[in-house]
Amino acid sequence: MSEKKEMKELVKELTKTQEEIRELIKAEIEWEPVGPTPMPGITDLRSWDMRLLKTYKPWYAPFCDLCCLCTYGKCDLTQDRRGACGIDIATQQARIVLLACLMGCSAHAAHAGHILEYLIDRHGPDKKIDMGTFIEVEAPNIRTVTGLKPETLADLKHAIEYVYKEIAHLLDSTHMGQEGSALDYESKALHASMLDHVGMEVADIAQIVGFNFPTSVADTPLVEMGWGSIDKSKPVILVVGHNPATSTVVVDYLRENNLEDKVEVCGICCTAIETTRYSDKAKVIGPLSRQLFFVRTGIADVIMTDEQCINTNMPEEASNVGSALIATLDKVMYGLEDASEMDTDEIIKRMTEKKEHFAILEPAKAAEVAAKVAMKLAPQRKKELLSEEEAKKLAEKCTDCGMCERVCPNLFSIGDGITEMAKGNFELMKGLFNLCIGCGKCEHECPQGVPIFRLMQAAASWETWKVRAGRGAVMDTEIRKVGAPITLGTIPGIIALVGCSNYPDIEDVAEMVDEFARRKYIVVLTGCAAMVAGMTKDKDGRTVYEKYPPDFDAGGVVNIGSCVSNAHISGAAIKIANIFASLPLRANYEVIADYVLNRVGACGVAWGAMSQKAASIGTGFNRLGVPVVLGPHSSKYRRLYLSRKEEDDWTVMDARKRELVDTGEPSPEHIAYVAETKEKAMIMIPKLCIRKNDTPQGRGIKLNHYISLYKKYTGGGLPEDLHLYIRRAADIPLVYRKEVMPYLEKIGWKPKEPVGLPTFIGTYPSKVPIDSVIH
Amino acid sequence: MATVPYHRVNVLTGIKGAAILEKPEQFTKIISKAERPLLVLGPRLLEWSLDGRSVLEHALDIAKTANIPICATAHLKGKLTELEVTPDSVYDAVEIVNVLRDPDWKGVKGEGNHDLVIFFGIRSDLQNQCLSVLKHFAYKHLKTMTLDKYYFPNADFSLTNVTKDKSWKAFLEGLKSSLQTKA
Ligand code: SF4
Ligand code: SF4
Ligand code: SF4
Repeated sequence: MSEKKEMKELVKELTKTQEEIRELIKAEIEWEPVGPTPMPGITDLRSWDMRLLKTYKPWYAPFCDLCCLCTYGKCDLTQDRRGACGIDIATQQARIVLLACLMGCSAHAAHAGHILEYLIDRHGPDKKIDMGTFIEVEAPNIRTVTGLKPETLADLKHAIEYVYKEIAHLLDSTHMGQEGSALDYESKALHASMLDHVGMEVADIAQIVGFNFPTSVADTPLVEMGWGSIDKSKPVILVVGHNPATSTVVVDYLRENNLEDKVEVCGICCTAIETTRYSDKAKVIGPLSRQLFFVRTGIADVIMTDEQCINTNMPEEASNVGSALIATLDKVMYGLEDASEMDTDEIIKRMTEKKEHFAILEPAKAAEVAAKVAMKLAPQRKKELLSEEEAKKLAEKCTDCGMCERVCPNLFSIGDGITEMAKGNFELMKGLFNLCIGCGKCEHECPQGVPIFRLMQAAASWETWKVRAGRGAVMDTEIRKVGAPITLGTIPGIIALVGCSNYPDIEDVAEMVDEFARRKYIVVLTGCAAMVAGMTKDKDGRTVYEKYPPDFDAGGVVNIGSCVSNAHISGAAIKIANIFASLPLRANYEVIADYVLNRVGACGVAWGAMSQKAASIGTGFNRLGVPVVLGPHSSKYRRLYLSRKEEDDWTVMDARKRELVDTGEPSPEHIAYVAETKEKAMIMIPKLCIRKNDTPQGRGIKLNHYISLYKKYTGGGLPEDLHLYIRRAADIPLVYRKEVMPYLEKIGWKPKEPVGLPTFIGTYPSKVPIDSVIH
Repeated sequence: MATVPYHRVNVLTGIKGAAILEKPEQFTKIISKAERPLLVLGPRLLEWSLDGRSVLEHALDIAKTANIPICATAHLKGKLTELEVTPDSVYDAVEIVNVLRDPDWKGVKGEGNHDLVIFFGIRSDLQNQCLSVLKHFAYKHLKTMTLDKYYFPNADFSLTNVTKDKSWKAFLEGLKSSLQTKA
């Protein structure tokens, strides 16, 4: 075939007609009528995006002033200059944001695609999707976005192939000389990020079905966490990354060979969470921020990497401490020899005798090699931790030059801890360790060659904690129970603490969980956030997982699972619209997102967001109408979505009365927002759970928390925007009435009618009729 | 070589870096020329102290001396209330720059947008990002300045990296007295 012809075929393949889409989603099976946007393309939800972006305008903080993406550049984009291609600084930021969201979306989609292929190989394409007794709406994101109701692993393939296709189109638009509008790039970023939730859902459904992860159960086991939980007398295998294809086979291998009690399997980052969903004997070391510390202790005899969020210098790190390394996935090869076809004994020999590292892409072989190499290397392990005396001596090399502070991404001085250590005081270092995100830049930069990591190890706690194993999707039965109280406001909100471990302070997360669970919010967690929530104990020695029930209900603390399990959080919001409000999901994204934005009091908190995956997860929540609070580092993502509460138009349609109502109520106020401090986040989170359809009782409860958290974390009277959220006197919480009433009088507040059925539909050009939001 | 910011995450990628001012009088000159200056205060002011005196108090001295309205960010308002200071406005860091970038914004006093915005005490990576917003999207209608002990490349006017507390204290006190003289 000529190149041109081939291209034509490709374009034909990529541009599926409506008819083909209907075939893919099996439109003839009428579980629900097919909605307006089956497998939406780039522009199908654009009007929804534009409506969102009208209120929540992009806020751009360029991280660099230049663009260097093509050989016309570098182009200086300051002071309204345009690049040689014509692009301006705002559009350039939006383009970078889209690229970040695409990286995130691709990471999960490729993970999904890989795991799906692997599991289809193992179980066959017809393996049924069964999420257990209490979950009938098995794939809320897939149903809502694509219109497909997946019944088998093969059906999931249709969903992920749709995501792949969209990624290609979106990535195309970032090429030099294409899209010229920042808002359209934002719409594309929202599209990519919605797709990310589809990809994550595919990955986790496949994992649950294919690996028999827990499902339809709330009280999953409490597993041990912390490097203190490792029995160092045994051979130790460490798995790092996100994809459990190999780590589960390692567990299988150990089980089959009666080695499960003889070899320790532990994990860092999401692979750790996934592995504990498979075996409660596996242990969690901690979040990504603990990776280098643990690797550098040399306790791991074998390190197995898979994909995403792994240190890219792992071969050198492993060699430095005598650990063996196996790269198990094609995305991360480290330049290593691919030993997938090599004789197992030869690999083991070369790894143990010549200290070579290999890539082994065949899970069964990688598992066998890992176990055997770990058993051989363990007796030779001679990695001793520093004694306090040795640590003190090494700390004396520090000249307090401050170089470590200058390079620290968390902007603090580990040098202060080191100078104290030299005096024999280890306390400061213990505290500083909680601020450290484990990047290793300080040690690299130290002109005196102070072995900062080894010193931190000497000060770090060997305490162990508990984390609840990830439970996967929220059950339909739970949704049925909480749907009404959430939409009426009597459960004040769902708080989702998600994402990476780039925290201003690691303890913030547990504090947030405790604060909101105590106040009877529903708290859900995933990923590194789920781990660090368990790394603080109360005065009785309990972690939040031991203190609060594991149910998706008021006051529950629920570990949903890994990064890909975030799809179950967006899924829970979608299921409220479906199970509680009876809105059809099938290819009906716009209506569902509108419902979530205007009626489901949920707020995401990505306090330590760092990766591009966090960018797409968060932006995906935004398109679905869930606001997200980010930590201070996240201003480096370059883009937020902020409203201006006093000047913006807060008109909604009252769908029952068919009237436009100017509510003046900024709920939710922002959808992507950076808080500088934990204190500020504690105030913003309850505020972002306020929705226009709260009943007076529900609003009273929400405002009670808003005011009391404001007083607790800021002080200085009442929130300055309180009046905007009080519709009638009945909204004022009883305990604050005496203080609030005179304030309202002073500022000339006037009561207004609450809106019966608030919706954006009808306030902007959309193909969706108002009738479709009424249930 | 151009000055490298104290915190390396703030290294400038570009050519338009802040002018470094050294003497309090240079700052005073710019401040007193401004018609509607604004002082944006951050929570780091609660953590820093110089010879036992909170840097927040230095900041308030400057505001009072030059009669500059205050915007309190993060959770600073509570401490100000304790000190019996009522901030002219309360916005978070990203919110105040969001309104400042609009030339038609009414300003914290309702008298029109500000023409000089002085940032002081926000976490340095976030502060540099906030300054970036204004550098790119508000350069036609306002100038920015910082009083922190670090160089902020995205400001219009910044101190250099001040490594000795003694010098920083001398600067802040010098600024107060030079503003006083001007007043
Ligand atoms: S893509 Fe455009 S702005 Fe970027 S370097 Fe090329 S011409 Fe310049
Ligand atoms: S860089 Fe090294 S010598 Fe300098 S303060 Fe830090 S630990 Fe001490
Ligand atoms: S390892 Fe920790 S202390 Fe060192 S630069 Fe990174 S975050 Fe800062």
